[in-house]
Order: sequence, then structure tokens, then C-alpha cells
Amino acid sequence: MSNARLHMDSSDSDNHVFAPCRARCPVHIDVPGYLSAVADGRFSDALDIVLERNPLPSVCGRICLRPCEEGCRRCLLDEPVAIAHLKRAAADHGVYPLPIVSHSRPETIGVVGGGPAGLSAAYFLSRLGFGVTIYEAKPLLGGMLRYGIPNYRLPDEALDRDIDHILRHGIGAETGVRVGEDISLSELAERHSAVLVTVGLQNSRSLPIPGVEHERVMTALPFLEASSRGERIDLGERVLVVGGGNVAMDVARTALRQGAKHVRVVCLESAEEMPASAEEIQDAHLEGVEICPSWGPKAVVDEAGTCALETVRCASVFDSEKRFAPRFDDSETGRFEADTLILAIGQSADVNNLGLPLTPRGIIELDPLTLRTAVEKVYAAGDVISGPTKVIDAVAAGQRAAAAICRDLARDPRLLNELDEENAVLGRVPETMASKLETRRRIQMERLEYFESRHTFEEVELGYTEYEAAREAQRCLSCTTGARVAREKCASCLTCMRVCPHGVPTVKVGGWVYFDAEACHACGACASQCPAQAISLEGFSDAELTRTVQRTLADAGLDTTVVFACGSTPILPAFPGRDVRTITLTCLLRVSTAHVLQSLHEGASRVVFAGCVEASCRFPHARVLVGNLSAKISRSLEPLGMSDSFVVATGADDEELAHL
Amino acid sequence: MIVVRQKPIDEITSMVTHHRRVLLVGCNTCAAVALAGGEKEVATLAELLRLSTSRRGSSVDFGECMLQRQCEPEFVEELESEEYDAVLSLGCGAGVALLAESVPKPVYPALDTLFIGAAKGLASWQAECSACGSCVLGRTAGICPVTRCAKGILNGPCGGVSDGTCELGDRPCAWVEIYERLESFGLEQEYGTTLEPKDNSVRIRTPKWDINAEEEPR
Repeated sequence: MSNARLHMDSSDSDNHVFAPCRARCPVHIDVPGYLSAVADGRFSDALDIVLERNPLPSVCGRICLRPCEEGCRRCLLDEPVAIAHLKRAAADHGVYPLPIVSHSRPETIGVVGGGPAGLSAAYFLSRLGFGVTIYEAKPLLGGMLRYGIPNYRLPDEALDRDIDHILRHGIGAETGVRVGEDISLSELAERHSAVLVTVGLQNSRSLPIPGVEHERVMTALPFLEASSRGERIDLGERVLVVGGGNVAMDVARTALRQGAKHVRVVCLESAEEMPASAEEIQDAHLEGVEICPSWGPKAVVDEAGTCALETVRCASVFDSEKRFAPRFDDSETGRFEADTLILAIGQSADVNNLGLPLTPRGIIELDPLTLRTAVEKVYAAGDVISGPTKVIDAVAAGQRAAAAICRDLARDPRLLNELDEENAVLGRVPETMASKLETRRRIQMERLEYFESRHTFEEVELGYTEYEAAREAQRCLSCTTGARVAREKCASCLTCMRVCPHGVPTVKVGGWVYFDAEACHACGACASQCPAQAISLEGFSDAELTRTVQRTLADAGLDTTVVFACGSTPILPAFPGRDVRTITLTCLLRVSTAHVLQSLHEGASRVVFAGCVEASCRFPHARVLVGNLSAKISRSLEPLGMSDSFVVATGADDEELAHL
Repeated sequence: MIVVRQKPIDEITSMVTHHRRVLLVGCNTCAAVALAGGEKEVATLAELLRLSTSRRGSSVDFGECMLQRQCEPEFVEELESEEYDAVLSLGCGAGVALLAESVPKPVYPALDTLFIGAAKGLASWQAECSACGSCVLGRTAGICPVTRCAKGILNGPCGGVSDGTCELGDRPCAWVEIYERLESFGLEQEYGTTLEPKDNSVRIRTPKWDINAEEEPR
């Protein structure tokens, strides 16, 4: 991905420019696209857009570590848009589409392991036309999402929503089948045209210290798995967790919910170096977990039926080359007593039973470009190859594996080419634009209070309401969804320059108009005024709106009202007429005079412009233009004696509308 | 550029309503820039005519197309109007005329041609030239008295001026503006000289202009 600063004339090339959020997402979800749909309250459309690239919106909306948000161009102004929360809103409020299942290809693929990488691979392979069967050792699909991540962060219902949608693509699932024991990999290779191994990391690492075999010592994954199955685990009152990552935080918070009174986390790293995300650490802390950083475990000692961890001060974890090389200060020692000690210091792969050739380090031998293992027809991907990663990385790995298999079996490299495509990335918000933008704080998601949440496996974060989601999505600067100019149509009239408040269009020698994509935030003022229809918006189609009007009025009655509503206006008043059909848009400027006339011609008794309220307006300069537009429409209808057919209810309240 | 304005819809409707199939032709040069004849206005007018004619109970098909410039034969040649009974031009008078010459069917104007003008901001133009054929702007600080003075007088102002405003009340007095601008250049003495009467026959003697013709214009 090249990071060239763009003075982008969008018509220059077909090379797609990604917003930084999209560029940083490992699967390159069209983030501005789905945020724009959420902003207009079109949650199902938003869900469709996410599902193009990520089959786990409900999951990632809850637990993704959000590399996208670090790139958000709003970071410079206030805070990043809550992209992950909005993905969750799409999954919570949208309707999953019914997939069209077409196994157009004769080949079938066996996927070993039903975790995020396997589910993702199965989904994309199925969409590419292959028949797919997932083989999963556990009784249910989901892998670490189900058995590793606690329910208070990712409830089973939320996971099942994604898995159900994936399976509706005609994907078979054989659960309770342990490949390597119940069936061999070579049998699977005979049964299928290709086999993909995505078994993840199933073993919890232990510590090479004396006394670690103590009966009160357990490891993270068996503990989390038992807890996720709903088992009550007798931990005693005092629990000590060893580890500084997100799994350690999950274990500590799960221990609280399992009834432990006093939970401490001991880790090698200093508080600043802990690999767990800042939010996870904060949540654990606020729920009452005590964090004890910079201790190196030395031994577990028996303490009359309970145990204690003896530690020594860790002076530093990494050497100057950032390699793991802990140094200890033996003069300072510690002792942590506990009824139960849980090790959460990492996971490793369990691949010995698969019968695949391994490297000297015990990893599956693999060509990283083709994802082929040393055994014919067998591929591998996901954490089993890469080591521990984020969920979204596993989704990306599954997608890439699907593309690699598709290239080998169907000689169709399209998906792989698409994934390898180099895309330019939009640069930072220029000062000229930043100075004109209002600060708007992120909308905080409702959550359980900490004193409540620490005792229950109920989901802690309660999700956005539809209204909150739309408002939050309206904070998006709509990067890369803005103006594009078709040079061959441009009349060089300069109207775009005159209406743009951010100085996005500029004129160069020869009269060509150039658009600076970095400054454009897709208000649509230029497109609405361009007399040559040379300007369009990347994220909106005028022709599509024409079709929407047609669809909306296909069965119009004698008294049908079409309301064009501003998506930013929170509450619209009630409108006259029995049959009111509303078309919601990012801004009323997306509507042209022709759309209004078309509506009247195709059977609407009246057309209403609604919303456009100053307080909630995203594009204040556009309100003047909406005023001009409505005046122009009214003027053009007057000679036809149709003044009553167009109602401008912008900024109006219920009372004003009562006597329409 | 040439500034144009759409005619009242009733006038346009009555011109075309007796045809069955009418082709609306836009012009992507002056008329587009004047926000009256570009693709957007063609689409809008077509919708308005569909609505208007259907309300009158007649059924007329309206097609839409664009030409780069209606006043150039090479562009006009591209027009495909065979399927239509009539053409409605969204160009200036010159565009209508060349279409009418080139297309063997009735051609109607959807616009009125107003003046040669300059842009004064968004959707706003000032008349600056009347194509009189003998320019005096060099003597009048770039302000055309023929165009900007309501009477078009060459030596003003007349007695109708009051506080710098024309007696029509809708515009500043061109001659006051001429004086003020000359003064700002320190050339107010120019104002003392009288402009000779214009040779209005230039317009009559120049029905067309061929740069390669042997005959000089005057």
C-alpha cells in the first residue's frame, strides 16, 4: 500500500484510493461506505457492505481491536469514529441477507477447524462457488470465539448470528470430529479436492518453573472453555493470573464472575508495556482486578493446600533490539498467595496428530505465497501458521486461503489479485478543512456499571440504539466517498469552485477542474449544482436514486406522499396523506429537481422535503443550497398549477405541519 | 460568454405539445455555463415537460441529448434525431439557428438569449457587451455604455441620474461608474472628450465574417 500524498484528481486513474480506516483494516472493509449507510439509518445496507469483506460483523463489532480507528482522520480533530461499535449496530439492527447459494464449481473443500479463519475461508470459498464442509473437534463451531472469549464480551447469540449466516451459504459442518484421531487428514484429502487446515492454537503454554504441576495451578484455555460451557469452577477466594495480555484480562475478569473475591494479575511487563489493550486493562481494573506488573515468576510453592507464586522483580523485558530478553533484579522478591493460580502466558499449536511435515520449530511446513503445505492438496492458514493474531487477522487469513485455493483449483486468480492490489491511501485532513469542522465527541455506548458487571456473564456493552448509531456515524468525514469529476463532461463553468466551502475544486491551465480528495467530505454541494452532470459522488448514485423513486412508487395509490428526508434529522414530523413513503438521504442536496418532478409524474400526489434542521445539520453551508433548490422546484411547479404538490417541511415542527 | 435563460414553461409547452416525439438538445458550452442548457437542465426540463404535457392530457415522448456546442456544424453532425418529429434546443439563438439549418424538422428554442456577460459569482451574470461591432471600451475604462447605460448613450450621464443610480432604479449609472474608474486611474481628463457617434452600419454591413475573405470589414 503506497502512502503517497494525493492531490487527487479522481478521474486520473482507476486506481482506487482507500480511506485510512479501510486501508488499515486487514480485510479492507469499505468502512466509509457502511458508515454512510448507518448514518442514513440503512442498517441492512450497512450489513451488506460489511459482509462483502468480513463474514463476522457481529463478532468483530464487539471484540475487534480496531486497527481502523487508529487511522481515522477524525483523530486529529477530536476522537476517531466508533467504527467497530457501528459494525455491531449494523449487525444488531440490520437484517442479514439471504444468500444465493450456487455451487457452480464441481470441486469441494474440507476445512479443518471452525474458528474465525476456518469460517472465513469457508464463507469465501462458498461464495466463489465451491462446496465446503467444516470439520470441527468441539461440539459447536466458533473456535476461540466460542471457547476462548468470555460471554460478557461476546455472547453466544451474537456469535451464532454470524455463524448461522455463514452456514446458510450451503456450508456443511461436521462437529465433534477430531481430524488426526477420528479421521485422518489423508482421508479428508481423498474426500475433497483440497483441505485447508485452520486449527488455530489449542494448547495453553505452561511455565518451566519448579512446582508448576501443583494441583491448584491451571492454564487459561481449559479454564475459559469450561467457563464458557457454563461450568461452575471452584477457584477459592484468591485467584492469581500470570500474564499481561488480553487473554490474562479475560481470565481475571472471568475469575471474578466465577466467584473469586480477590483477583490479581502478575505479569513480566511494566504497566506501559503490557500487551493487553488499554481498554481491557482499564475494565479489569475498574471491576476490581489488581494488576501487579514487572514481576518474573520463579516458583510455585505449596501452602497448606493452596499455593503461592514466588517472584523476582523484572527490570526489563526487551533488549535494545526489542527482542524478548527479560532481565531480573534478584535483590527484590515477591510472594503472591492464592487459592488458584491460572497461567495465561500464551498459546501454541497442536499439530502433531495431523501427519503434516513440520519445520524444526514444530510449525507446519508451508509455502507462504501459495499456502500449500508439503502434502499435496493440503493448505494451512490462520494462527496455526502465524502465531497469535487478532480475530480480524484470522478473517483475512481465511480470505487469502480461499483466494489461493481458488487460484489453484479453478485457475481463477481474481480474488487473489484483488487482495494483492496496491491502493493509495488518503492523507491527513488539511488545515483548511480542519479549521472549518466542528468538534463532536464520540457517543459513548451504554454499558453495565462495573459493580454490576463483575458478577455476571451478561454482555457488558449494551450496544447503540439506532439513533445513537446514526448520530455516531454522522461524525464520519466520509473520506473517499466525495466528488469525482468526469473530465469529458466538464464545461469548466466553475460552479463547483463557487459552492465548495473547503476549496476542494481548483482550476488548472486549460480549464480543467481538479478535486483535492483529501479536503472533500462529500457534502455533495458541487454535484448538486454542476450543470453538466460532470460531478458525481463516489458514495452516492444519482441514477440509483432515480431507480429508488421508481421502486418506491411502483404501486402508488391515489394519495401517496413521497418524503425525501434528511438522514441527519433525528425526528421527523408526521406528514399528511394516508400512504407516506420515505426516502432517507445523507443530505437533501442529493435530490435533484428532476427527482421531484419524476416522483410527481410517476404517481406521487405530493412530494415533501423534510428535515434539514440547523441543530443536527452535518453540512451547514448546504442548507442555503437546499433552500435555493426548494424555491426553484416550487417556482417550476407554479405555472402547472401544482404548487400544492411540493411541500417544503424543512426545519418545520409538528405544529407547522398540522395545517398542511 | 453568451448568457441565456429558460423560457416560461407554458411557452415551451405550447410550442411542442402538438408533436409526438421531441428531442431536447443541450449545449455544453455557454448555455451549460449559464446553468440553463447543460445535461442537468435538459433532464429537469424533460421531466417538467413530461409532467406538464401529461397534465394537459397529451402524450409526448421527450428524448434527451447533449452536444458540445450547438453553434459548430461538426458537433451538430453528431445529433441523432431521426426518431423525433421536432427538436427543442437548449442553446443560444445561434445554436437554435444552426440546428434548424442542419435538421430537416422543426427546431424550437427553449431559452431566451440575453446578452454577452461575465460571471459575478454563483449563478449570477452581468451584461457587459452588446456586440455593436465598433468597440469603445478603450475610452470608457472598460465599462460599456452601449450595454450598461439603459439608453446606450455615448456621452453621459443624462439628467436621469440621481446619487449614482439610473432613473430606472435597477442599476448604477454606467456613466458615473465610467467617470469614477477613470478618476481612479488619474485619467478623468479623458472624460472631457466627446465620443463620436458610432457607425451603426458596421453591424448591417457584417452579416457574416470570414477571416480569409478578401474584403476588409470597413
